[in-house]
Amino acid sequence: MFNLMRLEMKKYHIGSYIKRAVFANFIILAVIFMLIFITKVEGDVDFRTYQTALGMIDSIVRAVFIIFASVLIAKFIIGEFKYRTITVAFMYPINRKKLIASKLAIVVLFTFSAIVLSTIFVTAIFCAVSESFQLLPDTLSVSIIIQRIPAVIMNAVSASCIALIPLYFGMRKYSIPATILSSILIVSVVSSNSGNFTLYDIIFIPIILAIIGISVAYLSFRNIEKIDI
Amino acid sequence: MTYIVKTNQLTKVFEGKEVVSAVTMHVKKGEIYGFLGPNGAGKTTVMKMLTNLTKPTSGDIEIFGEKLNDRSYEVLKRMGTIIEYPIFYEDLTAKETLELHCEYMGYYDKKEIAHVLDLVKLTNTENKRVKDFSLGMKQRLGIARAIITKPELLILDEPINGLDPVGIKELRELFKMLCKEYGITIMISSHILGEIEQLADTVGVIKDGRLMKEVSMDAVNRSQSNYIELIINDGKKAAFILESKLNITNFKLVDDNCIRIYELTASQKVLSKTLIEHDIEIEGISKKTSSLEDYFLKLINGGATSV
Repeated sequence: MFNLMRLEMKKYHIGSYIKRAVFANFIILAVIFMLIFITKVEGDVDFRTYQTALGMIDSIVRAVFIIFASVLIAKFIIGEFKYRTITVAFMYPINRKKLIASKLAIVVLFTFSAIVLSTIFVTAIFCAVSESFQLLPDTLSVSIIIQRIPAVIMNAVSASCIALIPLYFGMRKYSIPATILSSILIVSVVSSNSGNFTLYDIIFIPIILAIIGISVAYLSFRNIEKIDI
Repeated sequence: MTYIVKTNQLTKVFEGKEVVSAVTMHVKKGEIYGFLGPNGAGKTTVMKMLTNLTKPTSGDIEIFGEKLNDRSYEVLKRMGTIIEYPIFYEDLTAKETLELHCEYMGYYDKKEIAHVLDLVKLTNTENKRVKDFSLGMKQRLGIARAIITKPELLILDEPINGLDPVGIKELRELFKMLCKEYGITIMISSHILGEIEQLADTVGVIKDGRLMKEVSMDAVNRSQSNYIELIINDGKKAAFILESKLNITNFKLVDDNCIRIYELTASQKVLSKTLIEHDIEIEGISKKTSSLEDYFLKLINGGATSV
């Protein structure tokens, strides 16, 4: 399984996706500083505590990497069927289920680690800059950071499962646009932030969505050994 | 007789339409099996079923003496294939393509890469991306990929498509060499008769999903006797003279101006002399050999003939 994952990553030059993920981090940082700048100019009162700022970072990172995951799904799975390269993959002496499972595992693990690492990175830079330039009137404490750790991990776990939902839309007609569009739709539902409140904060919503994501992945490939290519 | 591939009443139905009907075929160990048929006859579907990509609706397949099922994966290790047209991960270079292929197949002789690229005449392209390859080059790389692991069975679906005449000749030599020197059994499909004729030991003819005939080339060659074709002005009269004066009975009146004599009991000189004596004008007399083409066209147009 690990060997298969390694080969799949080699096949699709995973390095280029890592580079893109790093690039996305800088964009996220830019957006966050811009938001703070705007709220300062506008005199918005919502965005003044670290609590909200860090919640915002979570939300943006999650949105970005759910969409990023759909790009991975499009490339690693939908694209194989669309461009018929799956005929090559399925002619190897490798269990079809194992092969698909290793692809899904790459998407889930990539998304999970990208969310965790990006949250750490973006939060660290943000806090450092914010502290030295007094961007927020609030003061940063270690307890705020520690409190966030379980939330960040939960966030990453559920988001990497939710990220599988676009698989369902993409696999219907082996459509790459459908995969990516559906992920944007999902993000716009779970990450839209209205007055410091997102649907994601209602705990059972991310949990249900994550279960849907896992089910979608399972159902899409349950009969993979029987289908004609 | 050891058969590498055996199918029994193999049938595939796609959306209510039978595209392969009760195909029972036999590929012997160490031979080149030519799978001949017009476009859309079902060649690719049969080959896809042999490689387990497509699952039969009914009937069964035996490869290396083992019945194929949904979970037959190990058997794929011993096969090299090109189905339909060679498909690649286009962002990879030729070398990466072959390296990855070997790893997926569980074959670890990296030195083979240069050797096999040399065999298909693709030297100095190792680091070129596949998407920059021409169709002919892709076809060659596809063959390189199929043979690099030294499989026991090669299944090649229209492998000479997109190649120039020189390329076709080179690959023909290569296939013959692989069969002879490495003992690889090759199953090769084509709609080009001449190709199959020059390569195959056994030919399977498929039309509308049915295997019309499975016959060894030796048998075809034996049955395709040479004949003499006469172009004359009065076929009926000439036929009468052949029978009554020359005792020639094994001939066929093709039309009023053409007779084919399959067995000549008198010399050509006597033949023409006798005909002229009886006021038959001879416009042409020539010796012909009927090729696989005639044989094939007969099958396709008129159903099975006996050999």
